Amino acid sequence: MKSILLNILKVARRETERMLSRKLYILTVLIFPVATILFFCSLMKEGVPTKMPIAVVDLDNTATSRKMARNIDVTPLSDVVMNLQSEKEAMSALKSGKIYGFIVLPENLQSDIMTSRQPIVRYYYHNGLFIAGGLLRNDFASMTNTLSAGISLQRGEMRGLPEIAVMSQIQPVQLCTHLLFNPTANYPTYVTTIILPIMMQIFILMITVYCIGIEIKEKTSREWLKASGKSVVVALTGKLLPYTVIFLVLMMFQNFMVYKILMVPMHAGIGCITMASLLFILAYQAIGIFCIGLLPLMRHSLNLAAFYGILALSLCGFSFPTESMSPVFQLWAYGFPVRHYMHIFQSQVLAGFGWVYSAGSFISLVAFLLLPLVIINRLKSALIYQNFIENIHKTDALAAQA
Amino acid sequence: MKEPRNNTIRRINSGFINTLKIWLREYQVIFTDVGVIIVMIAAPLVYPVLYSLIYKPEIITDMPIAVVDLSKSADSRQFTRQLNATQELKVAYIATSMNEGIEQFKLRNIRGIIEIPKSFSKDIAQGNQTNISAYADMEFFLYYKTLLLGTSFVTLETGKQIQVRNLMQQGETLNEADAAVNPILIEDTSVANAVGGFATYAIPVALMLIIQQTMILAIGIMAGTARERHAMGTLVPLDKNKLGTFRQVIGKGAAYFTIYAMMSVYLLGIIPQIFGYYRLANFNELAALITPFLLSCIFFGMTISVLFKNRESPMLLFLFTSFPLFFLSGIIWPLSNFSNIWLIVREVFPSSNAVMGYIKMNTLGATITETSREITALWIQTGIYFLTACLVYYVQVKLSESKGKEINTSPITSIKHKIAGRLSVN
Repeated sequence: MKSILLNILKVARRETERMLSRKLYILTVLIFPVATILFFCSLMKEGVPTKMPIAVVDLDNTATSRKMARNIDVTPLSDVVMNLQSEKEAMSALKSGKIYGFIVLPENLQSDIMTSRQPIVRYYYHNGLFIAGGLLRNDFASMTNTLSAGISLQRGEMRGLPEIAVMSQIQPVQLCTHLLFNPTANYPTYVTTIILPIMMQIFILMITVYCIGIEIKEKTSREWLKASGKSVVVALTGKLLPYTVIFLVLMMFQNFMVYKILMVPMHAGIGCITMASLLFILAYQAIGIFCIGLLPLMRHSLNLAAFYGILALSLCGFSFPTESMSPVFQLWAYGFPVRHYMHIFQSQVLAGFGWVYSAGSFISLVAFLLLPLVIINRLKSALIYQNFIENIHKTDALAAQA
Repeated sequence: MKEPRNNTIRRINSGFINTLKIWLREYQVIFTDVGVIIVMIAAPLVYPVLYSLIYKPEIITDMPIAVVDLSKSADSRQFTRQLNATQELKVAYIATSMNEGIEQFKLRNIRGIIEIPKSFSKDIAQGNQTNISAYADMEFFLYYKTLLLGTSFVTLETGKQIQVRNLMQQGETLNEADAAVNPILIEDTSVANAVGGFATYAIPVALMLIIQQTMILAIGIMAGTARERHAMGTLVPLDKNKLGTFRQVIGKGAAYFTIYAMMSVYLLGIIPQIFGYYRLANFNELAALITPFLLSCIFFGMTISVLFKNRESPMLLFLFTSFPLFFLSGIIWPLSNFSNIWLIVREVFPSSNAVMGYIKMNTLGATITETSREITALWIQTGIYFLTACLVYYVQVKLSESKGKEINTSPITSIKHKIAGRLSVN
């Protein structure tokens, strides 16, 4: 037992020396992860977009229309940056990206209102933009409804009707929206919190495949196995241990940024968060081992890991819910630890539900740890026989034929 | 060829021939390397199809919700039926209390809760305003949007029926009644993507990023491989005829450009056709945008390829940028809310302007003039990265030359012969 621990430490020390010998390691496990954490934490720091550029096209130019135009400018979400004279001009400004939407106050607006002829107020928004399009639509809808209700109220007052009577006439059924378990309706809470582990899994996968694959490629795998006392389990444990520690520190830094700097609500204890982070790292390291064991030629296993890692963003159900995808992808989605990590975050950390509701996700994360067992023998023989070495001078020979 | 005045012509001639040779040899490098074929050809072929299939549903339909019916009246049951009838929602559970609804939510059986108040039926009868509460799942933005879309539709419809009924009772005509309630009519127009389909938002970004990322990764992989394969670990082979900065940059660039021009036809022509995405831009408009995009990607890729010492380096050092670049494009978080530093970083990568330009032209139907900001930026990037690519290749060529000289003056004749043998192979 003691000798196993000593061997693990020996391999871990060997790996740390290897890490320090090349800039590639420092970049992949330290500089780039920290840079991306800082990037995603600072990108959406405002929480909700503010002052998105819009335009007002006032074709009426009367006291009423000018008053309306002024009222449009007061919401924090949008900012009237242009007052234009024609719809065509506004559409062109929208297409060239100067504004994200505009509102058209039609000709004869004032006189039509006076004579109850129901003028049509139109608004346009750039719905090729994901967040901006939806937000502006809501903003425009509430602005125009407020304008309309304002006129009704004014008329009601003139007729001596109380406000409450007018409102129940305008809107007999009112819809109040509440947010369940996430009182802060801001984007960092549901974008940054999930995109960060998605970034992290790329780094974990890549470096895990690389640090094992490079031993095969550079034919140092026998020396590595020897240091471990000829046990592949000890060899892998010792090799990946330094990375587990580094990534855990990174994940905790990430959690610190998310919960302490971005102030995302945190209803779970630090123990639960650490546990989830650790299992997340181990699950991806297990998948990394699986990739290199399956395809011991590093360039192929890196491609495989990259293919899998990149799909996480689309398939973990963060960008588009898996429930709405076809059954094949619903099943596939379970193959991403980040999906289970996301569930733990949403149900336990964000909403503060009990352990019971995220137990399944914890079990799924643990299940990934069994993955290396499937290919451990194949990996062992690849390490011992070094029969997966690529022929480096292949194209040189081919070039000679040309 | 004997006369000295022909020297210049001969040099131009040999330069041209050698550029062609480098160009053709680059095809050979690409198509004899499975790893490069996977990144450069297979990935751009497969990813768009995969993404299209993943996002094919476009919008969420029949999202399961719970209705907490405190009113238990004919009116509330009618309201529930109407909710169920919407495309967006499916009433999966009828709860008698809010706690029951929340329990269902915790078990992930439902994605939102609608509460109908106890006074619902009474309020309607008495002409009072009644409140419907919608509790949205904030895990996903799209769940929230879907719940709001479905519920507000039913709420408005129910409201209108009540309005008409009330006003008719007061003896007003329908038109008078409507004009009184709605002094202004409101018209909602979505410019592009009226249904708010998710693929329509994401696929254009994916297409542009696939082009850029696979190209840069492939160029990097080839550069790393070249270093591993060349006798002295240099990027440029120690071959006299190939030692020319422009020959290297233009010859290789031409090979990548032709391959990616063909891939672009597939990515931007065939894929949108098959999956029915927006296709508002015509060939000329797309060409005006894609040409500088491909060129800037090629030269950018060649510039940074000098950093990759090994074949696997690009996967470790560049792959991860795909996600930040997705957000830098400006279609998720609006550009108006970017801080200056990220606006500057955004301009480093060709994909940012290409994505925005592509969406403008193809989804909004912008003209070349309206897309001039993006096209100009891409040409500027092309210029800058052409110069940087030439610069790094110039340094690499000089490096190869000095290595070559070093070999020639090396006293150890055996090594000299060995490497000279390899050189002749090149």
